[in-house]
Order: sequence, then structure tokens, then C-alpha cells
Amino acid sequence: MKAKKVKGLDPETPLADNARRIVQTRLDEVHRFTPRALDPRRVEELHDMRIAAKRLRYVLEVTAHCFGPYADTARKRTKELQDVIGEIHDCDVLAPRVDALLSELRSADAQAILQRAGGADDLEPRLATRGPNATRYRGLQALAAWLQARRALLHDRFLELWSRWGRDAVKARLEYALEEHPAVS
Amino acid sequence: MARARDVEGLDPHTPFARAAARAVSVRAEELFEHSADVLDTQDIERVHDMRVATRRLRAVLEIFAPCFPADQHRPVLKDVKRLADALGARRDPDVQLEALDRLAAVVRKVEGPGLEAFAVRLRAEQEAGNETLAAALQEARTGALAERLRALVAAAQRSADEAEAQADEDATALDGDRADTGTGKPGDGDIRVADEEPVTA
Repeated sequence: MKAKKVKGLDPETPLADNARRIVQTRLDEVHRFTPRALDPRRVEELHDMRIAAKRLRYVLEVTAHCFGPYADTARKRTKELQDVIGEIHDCDVLAPRVDALLSELRSADAQAILQRAGGADDLEPRLATRGPNATRYRGLQALAAWLQARRALLHDRFLELWSRWGRDAVKARLEYALEEHPAVS
Repeated sequence: MARARDVEGLDPHTPFARAAARAVSVRAEELFEHSADVLDTQDIERVHDMRVATRRLRAVLEIFAPCFPADQHRPVLKDVKRLADALGARRDPDVQLEALDRLAAVVRKVEGPGLEAFAVRLRAEQEAGNETLAAALQEARTGALAERLRALVAAAQRSADEAEAQADEDATALDGDRADTGTGKPGDGDIRVADEEPVTA
């Protein structure tokens, strides 16, 4: 996801003035993907939300000290969000690869069984377990099921975090913090 | 995961360009500190730390982009992204293998061969990822990425120094104008234009 360009940045003006614009833009980007990203089937939107959260987290990492104390709390909350979506993303990447390997092994077995059958009119039932990959299915199926279950569990955790994000008014409180000016030590 | 180092000397009033020079300087240092022994597949945390350092450097390069000369900034950002991609090519199979090992340690014997079949594939990817990373590190060295990052920092620093010198010069000129009017009060010369008498009420 391409980051939205932040307008009005000026190298000669104070860090806080520029950082405020950037944080606000990145915060809006995180919110842009809801409610769509809350649907477990909308994998792309969730992935984009993760990227947006990562951008917000990194800008707060360098600039939170320019604002009120809640900016640092928001940084931590953003990291929590980014971490859980990141783990969901790992499942989303891995699960289709496991399915692809299963399908690949099955096709190779089908080919091998067919060859074993020679020129027979029909396949003998006992050939069903004679594929070279027959012992591999169970582990891969177990892995696929585990990934699916873990994804569901992590998605529930994401929904819980997002609901807490709303309940705790993270967006409004961060926006308020952006207008606060800490004393310069 | 390595915690980001604080960027010392930044306050809300620090000019954006000066903050850019400091932030990029610290994040670039972090990146090269984490590059030691990164090709060692026995210690996968090294790749992780360097990858996170790359992301942080990329982030500050993007945040402070307007503070750098575009013709120097663009190729540096591109090279940092390339390095991040190469680190990802190694990191992804690292993480997947780690998860698979944890699972393999607890599943029944009958499930072992399937997990091993997938692990074989991941190990091959890890090896290929390591080669990609080795090439990217070599490219960063021959392309003098560290030096170009230092040049970016110097350019932002220079532009901040020039802006401050100009602001000082303007303030001195303003003080001179106030002294000429005799009152020295702020705003005394605000509504004058050059070669014009002070406007008095």
C-alpha cells in the first residue's frame, strides 16, 4: 500500500509542526481500512491496515516526545495492533503454501499409482495407499488445520484489540495529544 | 527484538531538517551495527534485528524526505528497500521453520513425515534467501550505501545551518531597523517598507 503524501511539510519549521501533520495522516490511514478489515475474509484490507499501523508506529517512535504523554501510549497500542495483524499475515502466507504442497504431492501420487496400474482396465483399491507421498498427508493436513485455527484465534484477538482501541478512544486521545506541547527540558 | 535507540537532542522546536539529520544518522548507525554475522543461519535473531533496523531507517528516510536533496534521497531509499527485501527473503523462512520445529516437537510420529516434507522446502528457501542477502550486503558495500547515507545527513545538516544563519541575519537586520526608529519596541517597524519614513499614529 502506497503511503499517502503528507502536504505542507517544511524543513525550516519545527519538528512538532511537521510531525503533527504526518501522525494525523498516518492515523487516518489506519482507520481507513475499517470496517472492511474487520471481516475475516478481507485479507488484503487487513494487510494494508498492518502496513498503515507500521507507518504510524515508526513515526511515533521518533516524534512522540513532541506531543502530550498519550502519544507514547498510542505508539504502544499501535505496536500491539501491528503485531497481531502481522501474525495473522504469517498464517495467511503459510496456509496456501501448505495446501499447494498437499495438492502437489497428491498429483505426484496419482501419477505414480497410475503407472503402477500398468495397462489395467481399472485401479486396484490397494494401490490407494501405495503413492510415494502417502505418509506425508497427515502431517500436512494437521499443519493446515492448526494454521486455520490459529488464524481464527488471532483474528478474534485483533477484533478485541480494535474494539478496545475504539472504547479507549485512542484516535481522539492521540489527536488531543498532538495539540499538547510538552515543556522543553 | 532490538529496541530503537533514542534520537538524542530532538525537541519539538528542533528544525525539521536538523531532526532529519539526527534521526537518519542514528538509524543508519543502528543498521550497520546489526549487520555483523547476519548470514549465520544458526542465530536467526541477527537477521530479525537488522531487518527491523532497516525498516526504521526506511521510515525516517520517508518521514523526513523533504529535508534531503531528491536526487540523492531517491536512490538511497531504493537501496534501503532492496536491502529490506533481501532480509525478508531470509527472515520469512527463518520464522516459518521455527514455527514448524515447535510443532514437530509435539506432534505424533505419524505426522512427522508431512512436516518434514514442508521443512525441506523451507530450508531450501532459507538457503536461497541467504544467498540473496549476501548479494544485497555486497551491493550495499560496493554501492557505498553507508557513505551515501552520511552524505544525506550532511546535506540536511547544511540546509539546517543555512536556514538558521539566514534567520539570525534577518533577526539582526530587524534589530537594526528597530534601533533606527529609536524605540526598539517589537513591531515598531512592521508596517514600514524600504526607504519609507516610519508610519506614526
